[in-house]
Amino acid sequence: MRGAFCWAILLPCATVATAAPRTLGFVITTWNIAAYETRFADECPLGLNPGYDELWWRGLSKPDRAKFTDNGLKSRLERYFVAIRRGPNGEDVCMNPTSVKDPPLMLVEGEKSYGMDLDGKDGVATGKSCPHQEFTGLDGTPGVDNQLYRLLGCVYGFRSYGQFEANENENRKSNGKGMTLIEVTGVDDVRNDPDVRVTIYRAVDQYTLDGSGRFLPYGSYRIDVADGKPRYSSTLRGKIVDGVLTTEPGDVNLPFYGNYTYMNRFLRDLRFRIKLADDAASAEGMAAGYLGVDQLMFYVGGLGPIQSSAPANCPSIHVAAYEIADGHPDPKTGRCTTLSSAYNFKAVAAFIVHGESQRYADGWFDRVRRFISDLRASN
Amino acid sequence: MHRGFASLLLSLSLLVLAACGGRAPKTSGAEPGARLLTEPQYRSIIADVFGSQITIGGTFDPLVRTNGLLTVGASLARVTPAGFEQFDRMARSIAAQVTDPAHRDYLIGCAPQDVARPDDRCAEQFLGRVGRFLFRRPLEREELATRVAEARRAAVELGGFYDGLAASLGGMLVSPSFLFVIDVVEPDPDARGSMRLDAYSKASRLSFFLWGTAPDEELLRAAAQGELHDRRGLERQAERLLAAPRMEAGLRAFFDDMMAFEDIARIEKDSIIYPAFSAAVASDAREQTLRTIMRVVLEENGDYRDIFTTRKTYVSGALGRIYHVPVDRPDGGWTPYEFPEHDPRAGIVTHVSFTALHSHAGRSSPTLRGRALRELLLCQKVPDPPGNVDFSKFNDPHSPARTARERLSVHALQPACAGCHKITDPVGLGMEHIDGAGQLRTAESGVAIDARGSLDGIEFADVGGIGPAMHDNPAAPACLVDRMYAYATARPTQRNERKYVKYLEREFARDDYRVPALLHKIAISDALYAVRPPVEPSPAFARNTP
Repeated sequence: MRGAFCWAILLPCATVATAAPRTLGFVITTWNIAAYETRFADECPLGLNPGYDELWWRGLSKPDRAKFTDNGLKSRLERYFVAIRRGPNGEDVCMNPTSVKDPPLMLVEGEKSYGMDLDGKDGVATGKSCPHQEFTGLDGTPGVDNQLYRLLGCVYGFRSYGQFEANENENRKSNGKGMTLIEVTGVDDVRNDPDVRVTIYRAVDQYTLDGSGRFLPYGSYRIDVADGKPRYSSTLRGKIVDGVLTTEPGDVNLPFYGNYTYMNRFLRDLRFRIKLADDAASAEGMAAGYLGVDQLMFYVGGLGPIQSSAPANCPSIHVAAYEIADGHPDPKTGRCTTLSSAYNFKAVAAFIVHGESQRYADGWFDRVRRFISDLRASN
Repeated sequence: MHRGFASLLLSLSLLVLAACGGRAPKTSGAEPGARLLTEPQYRSIIADVFGSQITIGGTFDPLVRTNGLLTVGASLARVTPAGFEQFDRMARSIAAQVTDPAHRDYLIGCAPQDVARPDDRCAEQFLGRVGRFLFRRPLEREELATRVAEARRAAVELGGFYDGLAASLGGMLVSPSFLFVIDVVEPDPDARGSMRLDAYSKASRLSFFLWGTAPDEELLRAAAQGELHDRRGLERQAERLLAAPRMEAGLRAFFDDMMAFEDIARIEKDSIIYPAFSAAVASDAREQTLRTIMRVVLEENGDYRDIFTTRKTYVSGALGRIYHVPVDRPDGGWTPYEFPEHDPRAGIVTHVSFTALHSHAGRSSPTLRGRALRELLLCQKVPDPPGNVDFSKFNDPHSPARTARERLSVHALQPACAGCHKITDPVGLGMEHIDGAGQLRTAESGVAIDARGSLDGIEFADVGGIGPAMHDNPAAPACLVDRMYAYATARPTQRNERKYVKYLEREFARDDYRVPALLHKIAISDALYAVRPPVEPSPAFARNTP
């Protein structure tokens, strides 16, 4: 039997009719922190945060500035490898954010934000959360939790015109790493269905693009498998109401690649709200849950020279992240370890290939491992 | 026995004989001619003789499709000065590659004693061996001596053996003996006063028909030993060619020509309207249809007419996005796919290779599709539109007509247009559920499409009905036979061959429309090799010819 497939979309064809539950498939094309940015950055009344370079520059005497910058002629990128190592013993302050004590990070002070109410409380501490400020949604919804935005909303590199997220999306688009697939199964009615399942996979095939580099729907994507099982396959229960799919919260492992970092993003209590296009050829929505501070810092620490054009300062972010973390307290210290987070994403319809096709869909590592194994066997 | 009764018996016998196919009608063929190699043939020969790693640059002069085939058009083609320049460029490039250090050791087969000097022995060995395949016959002693002398002279002038060899090889590649498949005739010893193709011409005809390329070593050997003039020898060779894996390439070349797939390379689509369409889609579409046809007619040895109804096909990653179907190997390769029963798409006429090829850049075209279906697959001629057609109403962007059917209903009212549109549009409108890029749709400009159509009296509700209508249309298999025979002879079918073609049509039906059986029948027929003496020019013509 040939591989089973997730039928991305139901052709708008009158002759296509079946009573059997259907499956929808999507590939996420862009993924961004759900940040509410005003034109004049009113949410950041003290302005945007200085980056590592500004702080390094501030700490230098005039002769050292001349010495380390070739008399002021070295660009930010050229002096990155000197500037980032401004720890007392020459430590890279992104890799070792506790090696210096930098000015505190300026946080978002606005009251509005995108996001969801994750804790159901008004920011008071519970067994599962730490006290925190909450936002009001743009539609007036109270209790919106989005500490990730509070943390990074005034950091130039993470703003929409900064470079980090644009780079992440472009990286995934150009090299196909860290691509996320969403499979919705058990769909009896694409407009209204009280019970569906949403499963997340990682794709091993690159995006299908048109000649202008735009995402095309209806591409086929094989899922990442290891030892015959999907490497990513978190499943959430959901429902569709008037074409909007919402899920219950659950812990989800998301693939991620961007800015030279390839990692799993484990988001706790993650839930989706996805608006399906009328023709179901595309979808867009929000995912909200709790992101581990350590995971965030692992990523921020690996940003590297890209910070030379998208300023950020790891030590300040590190300190602030733990200060405003609002989820999942450490049982021993009581200190919260996760940040409430919300992301906006877009997706296009896709065929998600399962079954027999997996033999082709092993990741690079599996292929190398099998190659070596075959080589040994042949010897 | 009563004379009337005997006469009745004889008539009945003839009828029975006719019903069983009977004897093949005699033909006298055509005058011997010369046909320019088609591009696929040229490429195949170079790949066969020197290997596929030899690249062929340059462009080929376009051939005029004649009687539905470029291969037939090649029999009327002449080499223009610009075309010869291209052949010369290609020849030099091929010769340079064959003799370059990367290839010479295994392609030339011998080495000179001194690379800086001529070496007649090695040159003769190489040019004689290669020339036999390029010219599809052994080189005459003097001919070979001339080529070797050219290599010697060039080697002296250019300062190296390989440069000299390349010059001589380049000369062979622009020789009419290579570029043209020339019918060489000789007196037929079995029929006084008649002519027949010589053995090498027979070998070429057989090989180009079945394999789409020049004769191989075994076929040339059989020709040299006169086996092709013997029925058993001819059958042995034909059956060998038919049984070889290479047969598929030959059959593909035929269908590629019949389907006018050379135009696929020139498809342009508006990327705003059809973003999923790309050069990869066009290229894969050609391959998809050829694979589908090969599966039906060759792998399964099935009924030819099933190519119009089969739901089984193959899809690539690029095609999956057009058909909106999943593929096993989105990163490359082909996935067998069967359109489900409720899907109206079935048969090659619903493939991208047909629907997108015969559409405009930004919209479908019932007229182009209808015309292509009739001309390419039913061998019916649809006249060209008159030069003064007024398309203004058809192309008016402010027209209230939203669908192709509505636009055509206005346009086709013009008396000069109505006649032809009655031939093309009823079937073409039946394909309107497929857009100009080959994608399924149900509406155009927000209006539900009325995709009813008809073909020669068979009416259908949508594109799903075209396959069965084609399958049962007697003109479809007849057209294949007509094209196949013309392709085999590589010239227009002659008046004296019409009965024979009709006979082949009956035989094809008797063989349950199996294409290999038809190929075999033609390959071993007298008709394929029949040739009549050239007509002498009239005395008046001769007097007036300088």
